[in-house]
Amino acid sequence: MSEFDSDSEPSQFPATRCADCGALYGHEAFVCRECSSEEFEDAPLDGSGTVYARTTIRVPGSDQQGEEPFEVAVVDVGGAESVRVTARIEDNPEVGPEDPVEFVERRDGVFYFEAV
Amino acid sequence: MNGVCVVGMGTTEFGVHEEGIAELGVTAVGRALRSSGVDRDDVDALYLGNFVAGMLEGQETLAPLVADSVGLTGIPTMKTEGACASSGIAFRQAYQAIRTGIHDVVVVTGVERMTNAETPEFTRALGSAADHGTDGATGLTFPGFYGLVLDRYMHEYGATREQVAAVSVKNRENGASNPRARFRSPVTVDDVVDSRLVADPLRLYDCCPAADGGAAVVLASADVAESFTDRPISVLGSGHATGRSAAYRYDDLTTLEATTLAAEEAYETAELSPDDVDVVELHDCFSAAEIGDSEDLGFFEKGEGATAVAEGRTAVDGEIPINPSGGLLSKGHPVGATGIGQIYEVCLQLLGDHENQVDDAEVGLAHNLGGSGAVSTVTVLGGPSHV
Ligand SMILES: [Zn+2]
Repeated sequence: MSEFDSDSEPSQFPATRCADCGALYGHEAFVCRECSSEEFEDAPLDGSGTVYARTTIRVPGSDQQGEEPFEVAVVDVGGAESVRVTARIEDNPEVGPEDPVEFVERRDGVFYFEAV
Repeated sequence: MNGVCVVGMGTTEFGVHEEGIAELGVTAVGRALRSSGVDRDDVDALYLGNFVAGMLEGQETLAPLVADSVGLTGIPTMKTEGACASSGIAFRQAYQAIRTGIHDVVVVTGVERMTNAETPEFTRALGSAADHGTDGATGLTFPGFYGLVLDRYMHEYGATREQVAAVSVKNRENGASNPRARFRSPVTVDDVVDSRLVADPLRLYDCCPAADGGAAVVLASADVAESFTDRPISVLGSGHATGRSAAYRYDDLTTLEATTLAAEEAYETAELSPDDVDVVELHDCFSAAEIGDSEDLGFFEKGEGATAVAEGRTAVDGEIPINPSGGLLSKGHPVGATGIGQIYEVCLQLLGDHENQVDDAEVGLAHNLGGSGAVSTVTVLGGPSHV
């Protein structure tokens, strides 16, 4: 997948799939929850998502000092075959349940989405 | 299977303590032993729940250290950890050991010291209960997890911020007459909804305060319990379950299945249902948590918890009194001590000795929850007439 798509198209979301049983993962898995396989392959999904729940962190832990306030949300991404992930929402404290968002990039192991 | 009884208990106040963490544990265990009539020679083991002493106090090896300091040198000891459910798990292990005949008398304690830490270190330490690779990496805090839960709950069930604030109002009013509580002043709905945002939609007065404290109980098999005390409390049922490791792992964030599974097991072993429970101490680390817990434990239908508390149905004189101690919201949350602290409050109710006594309390329930709904223990207790 590319993290440098044009503004009009959401980036593809970098899901992975168990090579043995086909189970789909948003956050990286090391052992398949369904079959204990350790083999996974890339399974990029449509980057369109929907917010399930959102909060704004105003009192962060010491690792995020100075970044506050920032939005963390649970997002369903990928269209028909979707995965649920915990992610950051960029620059939109108003976004809430059922609102559409688009995947932007994965940076330092964190998924970033933006409001549509 | 042997019956299991609480034959002694002790606690420190929950609040700000100058003493070190081991001293808090030693004080609680000493008080529990004194109240129990159990000789040191009778004690077979000591289990201790703690969460962040390593991170915040630089003190580990707590279980043997506390045991030796209180004169229990020689017995097997161990520490259990499951974030906020750490001492609920310790209690569960002691219960299992006595029930299966491995031990006859076990001391269970929980300890934590937190108030000497700065807020960022404290928030980071509590955040260590989250999965580092997923929720934790986004900066999701412990209040943040419950911010997500409440955001979804309000969306699905139309609960209002004022209804949710009623949890804090009720618990702070109860806590005002509990000498063990850190906060002993009431708050109004306006105080809650006007307090500063911490993790939207949660505000400061939706959040339990940190606290230092220790609590302990002495458990004994029913065969020998009455040789120690004429008022043993019976452990009627116990449940312990694992839930989801992170926010994204939930299909439904408004139901924490660690709680529903632990409750199911506890009711089943007790051969009781939620209708039989007279008094409840549940895990109100946040106002929103109490609402979900009250549903997950079977006291209300899904979506009814918020209106129930706003209507006074969970007050001390309500149909199902919840957190007459003031809960974590008033007592404070010395994380590793909380689970035993809850059991202590329920036992006081069943002995008829509580400051906010519920009339005719014969069956009580204590609910302890750790992490992002990752682990829960539920304990059903019966008054002296149940032994
Ligand atoms: Zn698989």
